[in-house]
Amino acid sequence: MRGAVLLALLLVLASVAALLHGQIDAAPSVLWQGLLTGDGPGALILDTIRGPRVATALGAGAVLGLSGTIFQTLFRNPLAAPDLLGFNAGAGLAIIAGIAFGIALPAPVLAAIGGLAVAVIVGALAWRRGSGTPALTIILVGLGTGFTATALATFLMTLLPGTAAAEAQRWLTGSLAARNWGHAAQVWGFGMALTILAFSQARPLMAMELGGELATGLGVRAEPARWRISGIAVLLAAAGVAVAGPVPFVALMAGPFGARMTGARSPAARMAAGAAAGALIVMLADLLARASLPGLQLPVGVATGLLGAPYLLWRLSREMDKGDL
Amino acid sequence: MRRAALLALLLALAAALSLTTGPRALGLSDFLTALTAYDPHDPAHVTLMAIRLPRLVAGLIAGSALGVAGTVMQTLTRNPLADPGILGINAGAAFALLLGAAVVGRSDQAAIALFAFPGAALASVAVFALGGGLRGDAGPVRLTLAGAALNALLLSMVTAMVLVRQESLDILRFWVAGSLTEAVYRPVAEMALLALAGAALALLIAPLIEALSMGADMARGLGTRPARVQAGGLVAVTLTTGAAVAIAGPIAFLGLMAPHLARPLAGASLRVQLGTSAALGALILTLADVAGRVILAPGEVRAGIMVALLGGPVFVWIARRLRPGAMA
Repeated sequence: MRGAVLLALLLVLASVAALLHGQIDAAPSVLWQGLLTGDGPGALILDTIRGPRVATALGAGAVLGLSGTIFQTLFRNPLAAPDLLGFNAGAGLAIIAGIAFGIALPAPVLAAIGGLAVAVIVGALAWRRGSGTPALTIILVGLGTGFTATALATFLMTLLPGTAAAEAQRWLTGSLAARNWGHAAQVWGFGMALTILAFSQARPLMAMELGGELATGLGVRAEPARWRISGIAVLLAAAGVAVAGPVPFVALMAGPFGARMTGARSPAARMAAGAAAGALIVMLADLLARASLPGLQLPVGVATGLLGAPYLLWRLSREMDKGDL
Repeated sequence: MRRAALLALLLALAAALSLTTGPRALGLSDFLTALTAYDPHDPAHVTLMAIRLPRLVAGLIAGSALGVAGTVMQTLTRNPLADPGILGINAGAAFALLLGAAVVGRSDQAAIALFAFPGAALASVAVFALGGGLRGDAGPVRLTLAGAALNALLLSMVTAMVLVRQESLDILRFWVAGSLTEAVYRPVAEMALLALAGAALALLIAPLIEALSMGADMARGLGTRPARVQAGGLVAVTLTTGAAVAIAGPIAFLGLMAPHLARPLAGASLRVQLGTSAALGALILTLADVAGRVILAPGEVRAGIMVALLGGPVFVWIARRLRPGAMA
């Protein structure tokens, strides 16, 4: 309980810090003035520069963290996250394809189509008759499918004119630059609806975590539940990718970090903790990326890449020590 | 023997395609006259000798070097998914090249290229150690995930560096997916020598690697010292991968595909496998480069992208065939 309060407090503090700091630091009084009067530099920061960015970061981080936590619980493997499984790459590919071919669908819809398509492909390719598909097969097949989706996205980028290609490259790294309230509304709207759906599956998810046979014993039909829960988690990740790009490693780190901090045990509690942790990670990474170098804002994906890669290596060595890998 | 002749024939065909394909329609007869009576004022001759021939040569060298590197890595780690690109060794070499360009300056390409080798060596050691190589077995999932982490780390650092130094994103995209278009500006001859040295070393120690791939205990029983063989393999991989990256940038999946295609053709001998895989690597890269010139003509798709489009599905195909027990 104390951990949960601490996590929430950290999230609030990080959001305030993200509003105050950047290439130009704003005094708290300036922001307060802006909030009260709706006028002046404080209002500008809150309304157009940092406000929508912070809101988008919160939403995108939360849905990515939630998605990762669900997959890790479902496959009972801390390495099963939508970024490693290729789903984020699929969502990114669909958005690049939308730009390249001029498909006039909103970004979240495109991302959802791409993520779901990759999920179906990975599921179908990794599926084995009889015994349940081992998580390691899914991870390897997912990695390979993700490689292919990334290669296709890079291929499509050669179709784009110079400036659009540069934009797409930045976006594929994972970036929160120039987000407006539309983006924030998008990720919060889709995110809220999907989060409700996700929590409605907390009980079957708990049964699935016990294993396919036990789940059947508890009256949960394993295969349909697995597909249903995976689908929701893929859509959650896609909602995040649509507004922030395929930010690497957030979904991978958020679940274990949230659970460790709060001591959450039940799937529902871990899902909530994972969502909060994801939001915290994206917020801090974005703050670090845009405020630490004078005169230069790095995309958030660079920061999560630098944070997440060592985490993945550490997790790998942990899993090897435990003998799970 | 018939298979070797067939491979040679295919390579010759691919080379002819590579010389004749491009925005300017040229025949092999043009190439022959350019070789025998070079006319520096004939645009056709200039195109052939200054653009297409260096590009073809670069593709042949980088492709065969990666074929050798992939075969050594897959045999030494007993991991069918090993590849210099997937395991982050390409990225290590490419990152070191960027550092080199920052240290030496843009002008001296041969000096910059030397940075690729320590980069490749460090990355190889790192991925092997992080993937559990020191604990005994560096299985496919472990190595691939360690490689994915290394790749992500280096890519983040390259992205940050390119943005901090305010360089064009073209540089970044070049480093992400290799290309043969700038071959003429690159120290192809020097790198060819180093790649050759790496390939020769691999051929030399091939029987020792074969012994080691039966397991460390078995190898010791046969009088092989595992650490020495691993060090030799590391040097061979470093020389071939570093040279390939210095010539063509990081090209992933070639070192994955070539050995798998080579094995059914070459049989059990690692030496024959190395030769076959080198030829297939050269063949695939040359064809990929030609395809990249045709597919969006008059635009071009970098050869590295074309190879990756092929290699991603091959990775999945190999991963699916792994026995669950042989996976971690």
